[in-house]
Amino acid sequence: MMKKTGFLFDPRYLLHDTGPYHPEVPERLQAIYKGIEEADLLPRLTEIKALRADIRWIEAVHEVDYIRRFEEVCYAGQKSMDTPDCAMCTDTFETALLAAGGVINAADMVMQGEIDNAFCAVRPPGHHAEAGEAMGFCYFNNVAIAATYLRQKWNIGKVGIIDFDVHHGNGTQHIFEKDPTVFYYSIHQHPSFSYPGTGREFEKGTAEGQGFTKNTPVLPGHGDEEYRHYIKRDLLPAFERFRPEFILVSAGFDAHIDDDMSDVKLSTDAFTWLIETALQLAAEYANGRLISVLEGGYSLKRLPELASNHVHALLDV
Amino acid sequence: MFVSRSMTSEVITITGDGSIFDAQEKMTRHTIRHLPVIDAENTLVGVVTDRDIRSALPYSLFKDPDCGSGREKVEALKIRDIMTKDPLAISPTDTIQDALLLIQEKRVGAFPVVDENRKLKGIISVRDLLRAFTNVLGLGEPGILLCILVTEEIGQLKKIVDAITEENISFGSILVAKYWEDDKRAVFPYLLTQNVSRVKKKLKDMGYHLLDPMDWYLDQLPKHK
Repeated sequence: MMKKTGFLFDPRYLLHDTGPYHPEVPERLQAIYKGIEEADLLPRLTEIKALRADIRWIEAVHEVDYIRRFEEVCYAGQKSMDTPDCAMCTDTFETALLAAGGVINAADMVMQGEIDNAFCAVRPPGHHAEAGEAMGFCYFNNVAIAATYLRQKWNIGKVGIIDFDVHHGNGTQHIFEKDPTVFYYSIHQHPSFSYPGTGREFEKGTAEGQGFTKNTPVLPGHGDEEYRHYIKRDLLPAFERFRPEFILVSAGFDAHIDDDMSDVKLSTDAFTWLIETALQLAAEYANGRLISVLEGGYSLKRLPELASNHVHALLDV
Repeated sequence: MFVSRSMTSEVITITGDGSIFDAQEKMTRHTIRHLPVIDAENTLVGVVTDRDIRSALPYSLFKDPDCGSGREKVEALKIRDIMTKDPLAISPTDTIQDALLLIQEKRVGAFPVVDENRKLKGIISVRDLLRAFTNVLGLGEPGILLCILVTEEIGQLKKIVDAITEENISFGSILVAKYWEDDKRAVFPYLLTQNVSRVKKKLKDMGYHLLDPMDWYLDQLPKHK
């Protein structure tokens, strides 16, 4: 049966300008939009508006000092924050608020029954952002904010996060590593061969959260076959035990063979299989509730097909 | 790179008349395997290791110190009876390279650190050295390791460093390792960025060979026997 799928996009997400020689460019979102538009999927999607996040939901995840510092350096015209990777312009802070706020709006719409699931095509991405530090093109951790929002505002008992961006989501892991109510699963290129150098197999959560983080490192050169094997071995049993009531997906498309940000070699079809697997888990445990949020993915040539296939799977047509 | 900077200064110690059970309990509580043995003046008189304890205890007592048989007999045994007397020790002003080579050569897990009067100043273990080298490798910081194969001639490293620096990328560390061909070296820059596509292309355009990550190894030398 066809699903009601929400789509979050806003031209203001293009305003975050990372300057020259940076892969995280507005053209990525344009490619994604174009792919969805040309596949004639827009009429089937429900629009999600990019609202400005209420700062208290940002503060639920990020340190107040960090948020202030981000705002200040941004409006002061600084060209980057914490690392040259996190390049910025004067619109970056506002864009980051709109990204997080848009995902929060998606969460509301799912919880109010207006949509079944959603794809949030946002910039800047979020999964590297730590509670108090910008990292790896990320400022506010959109998925972590959404998970916290769902827990606190909508009393969702258990949130499961699936992160298939080719880089480990260090920020998301660290924010929830002590928390047994949020399960963080990530599959990514092995940290000895990839940014950011975390996400090793032995990182499984700490304190109360022990056993509620799971990492699957993938060696360079590996692809579809290994992913299928690892997902069945690691993700499926973990979520069967955890039984998430809501699933958030950190959707990065940079493990694609044509994406030069990694040496992992996934085919276009593998990404469809990944989101379908996440959807099956959502159907099984979470009443179908799933929100997918864009992280990385830098091949402007491949993003249109990857995005349209992704949305196609969400719509279940 | 001095031992004094990398050693553990707050040492868990024991005295010669301590019991084997005290030593075992201290090691378990602090998850350590070496206890320097000192006298009343803090002079190093010996070292006792978990292996010494294991050898001194019958299996039943090692497994369960409270219920095993023969406890009284073992209780009579003192640390001074089982310790290594006058152990090898190193000085706070030795370097961690000294410590590394010595630990490898003597095949021990730790050295007590003493001053010229053999007063105990600390202990340096394989664990402390690993921590020091983990930092040297830059493992705690987010970044990407590249592997570039270069012919051995003067000025290669400078060209690579310049090319990377021009891209406004900072280095976490840079290692140079011997490669399997005599005239080749493998250079491993650890770059503190996620954004390496451009610099990788640039290095290739300069004629450098970037090794497939699956073919990396830091150490091509024959393993020490």
